[in-house]
Amino acid sequence: MKRSTVLGMLAAVALVAAACGTGASPKPSLDMPSSIGEAEDELNLIIWAGYAERGEVDPAYDWVTPFETETGCKVNTTDMGSSAEGVQLMESGQYDGGSFSGNATDRLMASGTVAPVNVSLLSNYANVFEGLKNKAHNSKDGVAYGVPHGRGPNLLAYNTEVVTEAPTSWDPIWEGGSEYAGKISIYGYSDFIADAAIHLMETTPDLKITNPYQLNQAQFDAAVALLEAQRDNGAVYWASYSDQVSGFAAGDLVIGTTWQFQVNLLQAEGEPVEAVLPDEGSTGWSDTWMIHKDAAHPNCMYLWMNHMMSAEANGQATVWFGEAPTSPQACTYAETLSPGHCDLTHATDEAYYSKIWYWATPRADCADTDAATTCKDQAAWTEAWTSLTGS
Amino acid sequence: MPAIRLEGLVKHFGGEPGRRAPAGGGTAGGGVGGAAGGSPGGSAQNEAIVAVAGIDLEIVDGEFFSMLGPSGSGKTTTLRMIAGFERPTAGRIVLHGRDVTDLPPFERDVNTVFQDYALFPHMSVGENVAYGLMVRKVPRPEREVRVADALRMVRLEGYERRRPGQLSGGQRQRVALARALVNRPRVLLLDEPLGALDLKLREEMQIELKAIQQAVGITFIYVTHDQEEALTMSDRLAVFNRGRIEQLGTPADVYERPATRFVAGFVGTSNLLTGDSARAIIGSAGTFTVRPEKIHLVDPAATPGPDEASATGTIREVVYLGPDTRYIVALDAGGELVVTQQNLATSSMEALAAKGRVVRLTWKRQHNLPVGDG
Amino acid sequence: MTWLHPRRGLQLRLLLAGPIGWLGVVYLGALLILLLNAFWTKDSFTGRVEPFSWTLDAFDSLITVEVYRTIAIRTVVMAILVTATDALIAFPIAYYMARIASARTRGLLVIAVLMPLWAAYLAKVYAWRTIIQGKGPLEWVLAPFGIAGPGLDEIANTWLVLSYLWLPYMILPIYASLERIPGSLLEASSDLGARAGSTFRRVILPLAFPGVVAGSIFTFSLTLGDYITPDLVSDTKFIGNVIYDNSSLGSLPLAAAYSLLPVAIMIVYLLVARRLGAFESL
Repeated sequence: MKRSTVLGMLAAVALVAAACGTGASPKPSLDMPSSIGEAEDELNLIIWAGYAERGEVDPAYDWVTPFETETGCKVNTTDMGSSAEGVQLMESGQYDGGSFSGNATDRLMASGTVAPVNVSLLSNYANVFEGLKNKAHNSKDGVAYGVPHGRGPNLLAYNTEVVTEAPTSWDPIWEGGSEYAGKISIYGYSDFIADAAIHLMETTPDLKITNPYQLNQAQFDAAVALLEAQRDNGAVYWASYSDQVSGFAAGDLVIGTTWQFQVNLLQAEGEPVEAVLPDEGSTGWSDTWMIHKDAAHPNCMYLWMNHMMSAEANGQATVWFGEAPTSPQACTYAETLSPGHCDLTHATDEAYYSKIWYWATPRADCADTDAATTCKDQAAWTEAWTSLTGS
Repeated sequence: MPAIRLEGLVKHFGGEPGRRAPAGGGTAGGGVGGAAGGSPGGSAQNEAIVAVAGIDLEIVDGEFFSMLGPSGSGKTTTLRMIAGFERPTAGRIVLHGRDVTDLPPFERDVNTVFQDYALFPHMSVGENVAYGLMVRKVPRPEREVRVADALRMVRLEGYERRRPGQLSGGQRQRVALARALVNRPRVLLLDEPLGALDLKLREEMQIELKAIQQAVGITFIYVTHDQEEALTMSDRLAVFNRGRIEQLGTPADVYERPATRFVAGFVGTSNLLTGDSARAIIGSAGTFTVRPEKIHLVDPAATPGPDEASATGTIREVVYLGPDTRYIVALDAGGELVVTQQNLATSSMEALAAKGRVVRLTWKRQHNLPVGDG
Repeated sequence: MTWLHPRRGLQLRLLLAGPIGWLGVVYLGALLILLLNAFWTKDSFTGRVEPFSWTLDAFDSLITVEVYRTIAIRTVVMAILVTATDALIAFPIAYYMARIASARTRGLLVIAVLMPLWAAYLAKVYAWRTIIQGKGPLEWVLAPFGIAGPGLDEIANTWLVLSYLWLPYMILPIYASLERIPGSLLEASSDLGARAGSTFRRVILPLAFPGVVAGSIFTFSLTLGDYITPDLVSDTKFIGNVIYDNSSLGSLPLAAAYSLLPVAIMIVYLLVARRLGAFESL
């Protein structure tokens, strides 16, 4: 049997399981617990790899064992490969919660898969930076639907031996990219259309792009045209971080979009690679712990959410992954593990993060209440991306 | 000029690297020493197995010549050397005056009918028969005529479109024959061609083969381990044993005057008188053979004629064969003789009742022949 | 003991119920759901498929959006190229194994051919990445000739790596079919006047052809379905990549509809292969 068919079948089975697991009602319930009851014995989480460490890789990074000892909740984790997979897993109803990026949280909130969170029960919530609270990606109608885990931007990486002057704009991967033709590294998913839109916000204000994830036809076409020019200039798309790391190490790539994570890896190998946040701003992620509306272990999940905002757990987790801590206390703790971490990730720099557009799902209704505006939805983005990279 | 002359032909298998594959058949086949050959290829390290130990032979043009012998006697290897599938270790093969020892099979004017027929399963009967003409670039119209003729000769007209898999064993055998004959070779080699057929079909095919040979008039060299087949069909035959020819002659020569003890035993029923019993019965030392049908069973009190040899004994076993009955008689002088008697007036009950009876055996003295120990 | 027979039939049925039930429910059932999915609508935001909400949108997209056609043609051409390459490489190897090599060499060669199958698929693909990528062995080899390395974005990489990956699946059926040809057929051909080349063309090749077709079933279908290798050694999209991208991020119905294409191609392919006698060579 061909792999593609197997894949389709698996997806189909997952879909049916999802349909059976949750029913079709997207109406979220606003019933929130008024207190945290006695902890259950177990907690089942969907996570990004590296979001729940037990010290198995490095004994200094263990924030799961202390939680289990303290609460008696045995933590089981399942890694998601992508936001979409995370959504599918969550919809199966087998999990109490998970850590999701913005392009999963919006879908989970809209479909009513996750429940609102009574943050007043979480003692560590008060410490969290205000800039992370009540954002579109973690709340609805002013009600919190989760607590933040950490955030980071997509950066512009460059080989300092080839690009001798630090860029201040995304221009070298777009119009100014001719000198790096064939050596430009580009994030290989349709989300990257938003990066084109951010560049257009700067270079073509006439398009009146206000949100790089919600694009009308004209804006979308302009972004795609920009991407096509980039492709014809020999853009190399990366699907996994290791693609990009080996490409930069081999010298096949000299400039492109990246995460702090890869830059750390390359610098640890002694490669002449630096990364900057260009002036236009960038796309990025801000991850959120959410609870399933029918969680089997809600008390353990509440305890976990509180734990993940604690100075120790959040400090360790964000240093481990290379993203910004969520509170001043976590920041202080992170500095003890990795001096300079908070400056590097601009944890307290709200001005820095005001330039970051966190990943969100493109929606036909433009994610607004104005019925007159329509935007290109996720399927259109995927299709455009396929046409871009597939022809 | 003889059709074929073999001079000092020797074949060893193993123990002699570098002289294995014949040029043509080898590159295409690699089936050297394979199933059809029955030759013990791939022997132990450096210890050559002698398949053919020195054969000198002349076969006359137009003759039906059989090579008879048990398996491993070298007859098939000899045939395969004539065909070109095996290269001799020593000696020469001369076909119609031309030395072909080093020629590949496709340059020899002989064709072979294989024991397993070797029909091409992906071709129709017509394509199989036309194969030799096609690779020799015979023009299509002539090809079609000759294929039709050949199929008519083997009584398979109208079978052109069939696949070999759709035919019976006997039909396949005839296709193999037609495929070889259509090339009008001057010599046809047949490697136990009837071995896979049942008895009745085999007997029919023996007659048919002989008739075809007489009709086309070419030399047939026929390998078989069946002495009856060899005796019925051949003009002459050679009896092979251990890589050598034990006796060469007409069927009557070989049957009536076996040159060696081996021939006497292999052709017909072994009926030997040796040592003391020979001295007592024949009156001289040595080994003698008497064919079972030449012996009479008479009353023990009867007196043998002056030109007759005689011996007394007890019937140890009786085998009723329908037209004949075979009696195994333990001689008083030692040893045993087999006697066959036509059941001219004897019923099976009577024949079987003879067991244990004391009898006298008589035969004409001219019928006990001395044989070498070979 | 006649009573035993009906009871044995019952035992047999009970014994087979498990595997056949599995085949029917899990295997064909999943295929059926795949088929149904292709005809269902999905929510454009949450991506949820609404069961039993019938639409032909997915097929409409596949037909009207040019890139899906381009990718389908590219995938089929790649499958043909990989199959042809493997057949050309595999035949001499299989021929040597089956008809020339000694028993000992043959055994070693069979092991050598099977050995790569023991290694994990991903390990092999990553090994090729290492070979192909900049500063890798391929670049060292090509450098003296003044040829630049291909890097990791050439479509030819996919062809190279897939041909490597599926080669054993081509060698083994050809080897089996060659080995099955009786030596006497080749002797007969030679005996009837055919030289080595003619024997090869008229006897060996036609008799080994079902083996080539059997092997091509593997190489063709595996290439049609693969999406990991194209992703890892090139940045070119194939049918599998589109299905993968859409099953997670875009539209599951579209993915389902698109995956019916390789299924349809393979059904046709298998019917043709059966006519060519390939199943006797498996």
